Amino acid sequence: MSGTGNVDRRGFLKGAAVAGSATIAAETTARAQTAPAAPKAAAPTAAQMAAETQPPGEEEKLTTEKTGSDFMVDVCKTLGIEYMAACPGSTFRGLQESFINYGKNSKPEWLTCLHEEVSVGMGHGYAKVAGKPMAAMVHGTVGTQHSAMALYNAWCDRVPIIVFTASAGPIEDRRPGIEWYHTVQDGAATVRDFTKWDDYPWSLQGFAESTVRAYQLATSQPQAPVLITADGKLQEMALTKAANAKLSIPKLNHPTQVAADPNALRDAAKLLVAAENPVILVDRYARTQKGVNDLVRLAELLQAPVVENRGRMNFPTTHYLSQWERSGPLLAQADCILALEPSDLFGQLTRVRDQIERTFASKARPGAKVIAISTHDLMVRANYQDFQRYSAADVSITADGEASMPYLIEAVQREIGDRKSAFEARGQKLLAAYKGLADRARAEAAVAWDLGPISSARMYAELYNQVKDLDWALLSDGGFSSNWPHRLWPIEKSYQFMGGSGGGGVGYQPVAALGGALAHRDAGGRTAISITGDGEFNMAPHTLWTAAHHKIPYLTIIQNNRAYHQEVMHIQHMANRHNRGVENAVIGTTMRDPNISYARIAEGYGAVGIGPITDPKDLGPAIKRGLDAMKSGQPVLIDAVMQPR
Amino acid sequence: MNIGKIALAALAFFAMPAASSWAADAANGKKHFDNDGCWQCHGYGGQGALLTGPQISRTKLTFDQFLHQLRHPASAMAPYEEAIMPDATASDIYAYLEAMPEPPQAKDLPLLYVTKSK
Ligand code: HEC
Repeated sequence: MSGTGNVDRRGFLKGAAVAGSATIAAETTARAQTAPAAPKAAAPTAAQMAAETQPPGEEEKLTTEKTGSDFMVDVCKTLGIEYMAACPGSTFRGLQESFINYGKNSKPEWLTCLHEEVSVGMGHGYAKVAGKPMAAMVHGTVGTQHSAMALYNAWCDRVPIIVFTASAGPIEDRRPGIEWYHTVQDGAATVRDFTKWDDYPWSLQGFAESTVRAYQLATSQPQAPVLITADGKLQEMALTKAANAKLSIPKLNHPTQVAADPNALRDAAKLLVAAENPVILVDRYARTQKGVNDLVRLAELLQAPVVENRGRMNFPTTHYLSQWERSGPLLAQADCILALEPSDLFGQLTRVRDQIERTFASKARPGAKVIAISTHDLMVRANYQDFQRYSAADVSITADGEASMPYLIEAVQREIGDRKSAFEARGQKLLAAYKGLADRARAEAAVAWDLGPISSARMYAELYNQVKDLDWALLSDGGFSSNWPHRLWPIEKSYQFMGGSGGGGVGYQPVAALGGALAHRDAGGRTAISITGDGEFNMAPHTLWTAAHHKIPYLTIIQNNRAYHQEVMHIQHMANRHNRGVENAVIGTTMRDPNISYARIAEGYGAVGIGPITDPKDLGPAIKRGLDAMKSGQPVLIDAVMQPR
Repeated sequence: MNIGKIALAALAFFAMPAASSWAADAANGKKHFDNDGCWQCHGYGGQGALLTGPQISRTKLTFDQFLHQLRHPASAMAPYEEAIMPDATASDIYAYLEAMPEPPQAKDLPLLYVTKSK
């Protein structure tokens, strides 16, 4: 770009001193290269500048009707991206202005976030609910670094997000100082280990092709985030009609997803049908209601119990074949195990003893045949160890679980022969066992019913009582609250549960909840609920401001145990292992003295804040009040002081 | 070894200020249950939590079994050796767990029946 920014080279600064040491240094250097030193003079006025820099009679044109960034907006519009979330950053100033003005701030609509971890991480929750990605834009270098944690979680959880970052252009076009700090030769290097693909296109045509390619790759199985760097010079360059006419935006390809090899499916079906005690282990399998329904069909055909690892909503908790609470005895008896999209097959089949000497024992019966259908091996990198320990299966099928399920059902139907009555007898036993599960859960939920701090079982029971007649959806998993939602709640619809963080990076919960709630709002106003640990919430409390600003209603219940409780337990374990007692385990792990007032934080961000609630009897009315407040489109937070788990 | 049982037997035998002795032991047990972090994994009411530690309120274990659990937990539980938890303290905690009141019955809690049916 030579039209603007070259003023100094034309010489007006030969005799001028400009305030600011960085600029003085830079200009001195420039001057040294072009002309001998001259005495200092006062800064030129605008008129003097114009007089010195423009040939007489010719005014420099400082505006342009269309820029490269407008074309970049056109590219994003063809992909049907609904939202672009960002915390502002000057490396994408051209793009931001094009999105909000040229693009009319619609499809995508610009969302204001207060941290890049939120801009990117809200796309994690959004995609799991909406079934399609949204986009985020992060400032060059600094924004990418802030976004890294959210990208890692989404990568581990196999969720697509379209992320843009930006860089100032070539060196002769950069402003001194800040644009150098925010520019990087390889914008994706910081996060390349956990993005599926990235590119730094050199031309606008390149931007179009790379962005469309990135979208296709992100949404193909296994899904993952992608990153495109939008060059600053490309963004801000004037785009003539003629140049624009030469550009084209490729059509998005919708490839079919990889389904299992029919021969392998036949082998798998033979094993499953022949088994006396088959078990279906399911983790990150279902993306849609059809995926859930297909799994119900397979489980019923085989009358096989389903052990849900809760990576997604895979199987209705009200179905009698939902038997995850019996995973111990079921795996111990199983002679054939079908694992669907396990994130960690070794871990699901192995018990580890966490004492000084770690020992490992198989959860499965020796000799049990294992069938795995998974896209796990299609996306493995060397550095980060999210690939987990190596584990062999007897029939190992590299394919997408959900896409393969209809063919597995057909294969099982072909093999079933005269096994039907044996299957029915098995089903009767499983039905009886299922009935016992509900009674046991209720008995256990009752034990600490009236105690304060509030027990997690009581909280989930009170909450369900308030939402039972609403179209509700959970934005959080129950791992840190004894899996009560899966034990007590009827989770039947695919959108009612979306799994967990993937990478275990704290901060996922408030951030993903914001994106998930946005998708639920757009799906017709479902009542979205996030049970958020206090440690989680403190990583991104300002998500509530973004929600209040953009009218994204959801209920956050802070599961306030005033600690990073998992870490309390770890330090207790270490202290006792070293025979020093647990007394000091609270140092560095708890958030007391002073206690944090989450309701006041919520109010400060423009949300409705309720609590702290300490008496279990007050919780039901507080939730009712919160749900009423949500009806006006507001985010609501209830601070519930709770038992650790 | 079985200090807890001896203590209980003694209490039962002398019956004298039985209630207050019981209370004294259980009260000390509660103090340790709270200060020695049992509740972090088992809940304030010893109700248990699916992923961190089983229910221990009104434990059905004998004192020997209980003590063995403290000294030699199977996996995620922190080991409590004599050096940090003398047998006498363990016996007080045992008394406290045994003395915990009977919890409400699920059938008396209607909210538990608006949740998952079947
Ligand atoms: C770090 C978490 C943790 C702490 C702290 C902890 N426990 Fe445990 N406890 C567990 C786990 C997990 C188990 C089951 C597996 C095992 O033995 O490791 C268990 C098992 C038990 C059992 C056996 C229950 C049964 O019926 O089989 C008893 C009794 C028990 N704990 C008592 C205590 C007492 C008393 C304390 C405090 C002095 C305590 N625990 C502290 C985690 C913990």
